[in-house]
Amino acid sequence: MHGCRSLNARFLAFALSLGAATAAATDNCPNLEPEVVRLLQAMSSNAQQVSYSGVVTLQRGGDMQVIEMSHGVQNGEETEVISRLTGQDARVERSGHSAGCMHPGHQLLQASAALGSGVCGLSTSYRFRVAPGDRIAGRAALRLRAEPLDMYRFGYVFEIDRDTALMLKSTTLAADQRVLEQFQFASIEMQASPVAEAATAHQAQHPHPHEPPAQEHGLPWEVVWLPEGFVPTDAVPQRSLRKSYTDGLASFSVFLEPLARAIKPGEGLERQGSTVAYTRGLQLQGRPVLVTVLGEIPTNTARMVADAVRLR
Amino acid sequence: MPELKSVGRSNGTQDGVGSRSVDAEALSALMDDEAQELELRRVLRQNAPGTREHWYRLQVTRTVLQGETPLAGVDFAARVRAAIDAEPTQSAGSGGGWKHALSSFAVAASVTAVVVLGGQQLAQTTAQSDAGRVAPLPVGVVNTAGAVPVQASFGTRSLPTLQPADRTAYRELARQRLRRYSQEHAEHASLNTPQGMLPFARVPVIER
Repeated sequence: MHGCRSLNARFLAFALSLGAATAAATDNCPNLEPEVVRLLQAMSSNAQQVSYSGVVTLQRGGDMQVIEMSHGVQNGEETEVISRLTGQDARVERSGHSAGCMHPGHQLLQASAALGSGVCGLSTSYRFRVAPGDRIAGRAALRLRAEPLDMYRFGYVFEIDRDTALMLKSTTLAADQRVLEQFQFASIEMQASPVAEAATAHQAQHPHPHEPPAQEHGLPWEVVWLPEGFVPTDAVPQRSLRKSYTDGLASFSVFLEPLARAIKPGEGLERQGSTVAYTRGLQLQGRPVLVTVLGEIPTNTARMVADAVRLR
Repeated sequence: MPELKSVGRSNGTQDGVGSRSVDAEALSALMDDEAQELELRRVLRQNAPGTREHWYRLQVTRTVLQGETPLAGVDFAARVRAAIDAEPTQSAGSGGGWKHALSSFAVAASVTAVVVLGGQQLAQTTAQSDAGRVAPLPVGVVNTAGAVPVQASFGTRSLPTLQPADRTAYRELARQRLRRYSQEHAEHASLNTPQGMLPFARVPVIER
């Protein structure tokens, strides 16, 4: 597992260069109250630096999963494991991840705190409100509501632990306030603990934000339009099969498959909870391709992103 | 047109075996203009009540609008049998066999003719009214069980709106892509959204 040194160095430089302007932060960003800034920062950084474990439920539509999870930090390295207690007997582990390694999504979450030079981080895309929260997994929470400022993303309600700033509950809401997905701790302990073994064990990858992977596949392509606030999650070559993006709260990935033969042009859609897979068959510069946009975004966003895929 | 339930819907408990071949099937159907066949296989796999009736309607729609005689399906057979039963019973003398066969043929042919003529008229109407439109028109295709409205668009011009069979094949593709790419997407979501590793719980089937 490779480390994340270059990212840390870059982020540090980035944060320091903006330090001088911090005082002006909330003046330039009327949507961003200091309380929200602190909460976002604490939620993001503590999730990486605090050890905890527990049982989480995931509800999507009529379906409910129960997941055991553990997050441990030792010698500055994170080990995260989730294991399914219902459905497929599977677990996913990510170990050896530097607790200071911050990927673009978390940079966006935390940047809100540091930025003052006219960049307001997440607050250009969401309006945040803090309110007293529920009691979740036996703990008192603060409620952080993130309402989208455009139609390109979903809304969220986070219940954040008052003591540790860990996210205890996360609800994804459609524009009509329908609940699309809900993660919630049923129980939580402030220490890492062993997680059930499983028949299928996957070691999560560590896609590096700045060092592109070696694999390439055929056609050079790009996405010429993204909803405001979305940035690439990692450095990928133009010929990569996949490109992923995040706005700090949501993420989606775009996949381009060159096809051997032309297919009838068309589009197809599958939605599961907050996740959409939108597939379109088309010709780009006379080459038949299949474009898929997959992520936790509204259907129209996926459609517009697919529409913005071009060959270079 | 009745909404088809998905067969390949991921529920997190199915294994991934065979997903590539179904996937290839969906693609190849779109390439070979055989999306109807794909539809048939999906529908028959479903084995639900009304499946045969649904398939029959699709078949009639296709054959009629292609200007062909529909295959004698479930309803035709029933109708023909009913017509024959209503005929005065032939004496069991010599020649009764071939007369009976001939009358059966005549009844069957007349039923078929009605459907073909009706179908051609409808097809023509559709073709004319499609000119200058982008949205598909509901096409009422008459089968012997009565008029069954079928949402369809079968013009010779290419329309932005898709034919139902295409939609089915593309939905199958989207479903397969969700299954195939979810895990790769989760690798990124888990590092770039506040839920930590939990995005992996969205993956229908986690693979090693």
